[in-house]
Amino acid sequence: MDNFIHQFVAGLANGGIYASIAVALVMIHRSTQLLNFAQGEMAMFSTFIAWALMQSGFGYWSAFGVTIVVSFLMGLCVERFIIRPVAAHTRSHLPLVVLFIGMLLIFNSMAGWIWSYDVRPFPSPFPDVRILGGYATAHQVGSILITLLVVVGLYLFFRFTSLGLAMRAAAQNPASSRLVGIRVDLMLGLGWGLAAAIGAVAGMMVAHVLFLEPNMLGAAVLYGFAAALVGGIDNPWGAVLGGFLLGVIENLLGTYVIGDDMKLTLALVIIVAVMTFRPAGLFGVTMVRRV
Amino acid sequence: MSTATAELLLDVKNLNAAYGSTAVLHGLGFTLQRGGITAILGANGAGKTTTLRAICGMCTRQGEVWFEGERIDHRKTEQITRLGVAHVPDGRGTFTDLTVEENLRLGAYTRRDRAGIAQDFELVYGYFPKLAERRHQQAGTLSGGEQQMLAISRALMLRPRLLLLDEPSFGLAPLVVKEIFAIMRRINQQQKVSLLLVEQNANLALDLADHAYLLETGRIVLSGPSAEIRQNDSVRRAYLGT
Amino acid sequence: MAAISDNTAARVVPPVSLAAPVVSGALRTGGLSRLERTGLVLLLALACALPLLVTDYRLFQATMTLIYAIVLFGLTILTGYSGQISLGHGAFYALGAYTTAILIARLGMPYWATLPIAGAVCMVVGFLFGRPALRLQGHYLALATFALAVATPQFLKHKSLQGWTGGVQGITLEKPSAPFGLPMTPDAWLYLLTLFVAVVMFVLGRNLLKGRIGRALLAIRDHPTAASAMGVNISLYKSLAFAVSALFTGVAGGLGAIVVQFVAPDSFHPLLSILFLVGAVIGGLSSWWGPLFGAMFIQFVPNFAEDLSKSAPWAIYGVLMILSVFLLKKGIAGALEGGWRRLTRSRRSSSPTAGAPTSGTTPSSETP
Repeated sequence: MDNFIHQFVAGLANGGIYASIAVALVMIHRSTQLLNFAQGEMAMFSTFIAWALMQSGFGYWSAFGVTIVVSFLMGLCVERFIIRPVAAHTRSHLPLVVLFIGMLLIFNSMAGWIWSYDVRPFPSPFPDVRILGGYATAHQVGSILITLLVVVGLYLFFRFTSLGLAMRAAAQNPASSRLVGIRVDLMLGLGWGLAAAIGAVAGMMVAHVLFLEPNMLGAAVLYGFAAALVGGIDNPWGAVLGGFLLGVIENLLGTYVIGDDMKLTLALVIIVAVMTFRPAGLFGVTMVRRV
Repeated sequence: MSTATAELLLDVKNLNAAYGSTAVLHGLGFTLQRGGITAILGANGAGKTTTLRAICGMCTRQGEVWFEGERIDHRKTEQITRLGVAHVPDGRGTFTDLTVEENLRLGAYTRRDRAGIAQDFELVYGYFPKLAERRHQQAGTLSGGEQQMLAISRALMLRPRLLLLDEPSFGLAPLVVKEIFAIMRRINQQQKVSLLLVEQNANLALDLADHAYLLETGRIVLSGPSAEIRQNDSVRRAYLGT
Repeated sequence: MAAISDNTAARVVPPVSLAAPVVSGALRTGGLSRLERTGLVLLLALACALPLLVTDYRLFQATMTLIYAIVLFGLTILTGYSGQISLGHGAFYALGAYTTAILIARLGMPYWATLPIAGAVCMVVGFLFGRPALRLQGHYLALATFALAVATPQFLKHKSLQGWTGGVQGITLEKPSAPFGLPMTPDAWLYLLTLFVAVVMFVLGRNLLKGRIGRALLAIRDHPTAASAMGVNISLYKSLAFAVSALFTGVAGGLGAIVVQFVAPDSFHPLLSILFLVGAVIGGLSSWWGPLFGAMFIQFVPNFAEDLSKSAPWAIYGVLMILSVFLLKKGIAGALEGGWRRLTRSRRSSSPTAGAPTSGTTPSSETP
């Protein structure tokens, strides 16, 4: 029973990471109908930037802040200079997937080239103690809280601000958005920027647990996708729930049923199962595809 | 800024428009005076919708389009909107997943005057009380007529000087259409918004408009005050069924 | 709950897409001109003579190149022709390799007999995976196949299969020598065998694409709803295309196992699948030569680039992938072909593209 609770909490903590990545993926999908395969690598790259800042003297939170801003700009630039020119000229998904893979490779190899493939520790802003009766570390609880903070912040932003409303509109109906004066292209860029910033947060949380190296988030992205799909690919709340659910299930199954080494296979099975049997996810709305 | 066209609200010269390699408009030219209601009539495929789209920058176009003395034919849609041209598109174009109120808020997206926006909410709910009742409902759940009302209202929230309407009667029951057209007249008179509407239903359009143009295969073939157009023999035969 | 959207205005571009998919194309299936036929024969002759010209190590590299070319040809059928993306063909490569290895090491089968079996196994698995997966569009399919690629090494290492797969250590094979005591080195023999298989696969594939299947695939790729309305069983053809590409990859995997004499889970990491896609895209998806160029590319770039740094090859791949989308729209082969066509335009009177199914129109100029 004891172990169960440990694994449960650990699952929640992992789930928080998956949830963050899933939210970032959902954000991009909502505005562009695209799955950003490079999300994990971008987040990893951001985390390295944070690390580099800390190495040159920044405190944790200032590095955190700067990294978020830089990542936001990075996402903006990627959308503006890499995605937009291509997406404007083609309806086919192939060039875009190729672009994403290209970006994945570039971010990964750039990180490896600049900072090498050595594994290094990444600090946590939370004290190194166990809390909640010893079942969880402060970092685990902290990262869950931060994930929730981010998601709630996003919700408030989209629901109650004018810009958030405009971004939602631009994602749903770009043509009509133009007719009310919304600069749709800018909204898209902002969406990418936000997603990149969220990814950076996820990266910085997970780096403490997984240790920072260029291949840190390779598998996590898959989980992020699985979580986003389970929750309904356009539903950020679903993504969050999906993330936590996935984290817990993965950990519990890994501990009690199938063994640690089959976790990735589990992600595969979930992804394929969801896409086959319930493509709208648990909470999504099936969109009627207009002929 | 051309002084010759300063009094004209809209001045279209030699407008060509195409979808890909299919040319739809051929050297179209017409003008709009400030304050009036103008109708563009024509059969399916004549290019009516394309005309409105071309004005708003929603398709490939060449030629000159002047709005209040400023040239807009090379501008992006969102820029043209910001100049005061509101377009209620073919199919309403409502944000179906957002609420009625959110749709209206978006109509006023480019404006900064809070008081004015609040006033316009009142105004719009005044014209269309049904929208007030449903203000927190998802726009997609509204009936066709209500969506049309919402689309027009959203356009009004811009406080436009020119309102373009693409087939406002389409798919609506006659009573609803009558109601909406009556309100359109009120809007024109009370808010001093010029209307340019494109309509297949020539009867309705000629009742509402002061001036009309007849479009056939991308060219204007007839132009004049509605009363005149109404008397025209070929129009009567082809479009009015008399 | 989703209301029928009243949003026809949302679609301001005309229904038929006039912007070409960037990596587009039909492989020309018209006849070859005399010039081309001669060139092909010369090339084949040169290829056969290669063992007399280069060292064993170079032959090994050439063999691997041919093996990759087979994979890429399969991918071209899937992606270039059928318009579907796979980020998981490394899994089929692994499956083919392991099938071969297991048949040889555990069941004592002769190596050459394992190839058709490896191909068949992959074809069946490809079909079974394809059936449900291919209802997915574009990037979802890419995701599903990527998940397959990621899961494969873990799967191969699993304890329950260790008896067959050799677990983490994998399986080691013996290098076969030339049969009937022919006077050539094992490397030369393997090279010639691979060359033979490659040519056979190529001819098979080409015949497949020339016929009804090829046209159906093109129709599905460019105008799926219309094709379906005309009675083309889309999911069947898509699954077939997937299965066939898996077949090619499986055969290549089997050859790979024989040539390298070793299979282990970690040789089939997810990056292999990405590498295949890179090769296919950069080589060019709309030309018969694409797979060969792509294969040469992924075989030899690491040799040069790794001197710079461990990550250099991947950085180069990444940059070229992006560039290929922006510039080299049809990959290296396409670019060369364009040049060739310009060169020979004056000499030829009849176009070799007569009667070929073409697709992908030039991009239209849309709203400024």
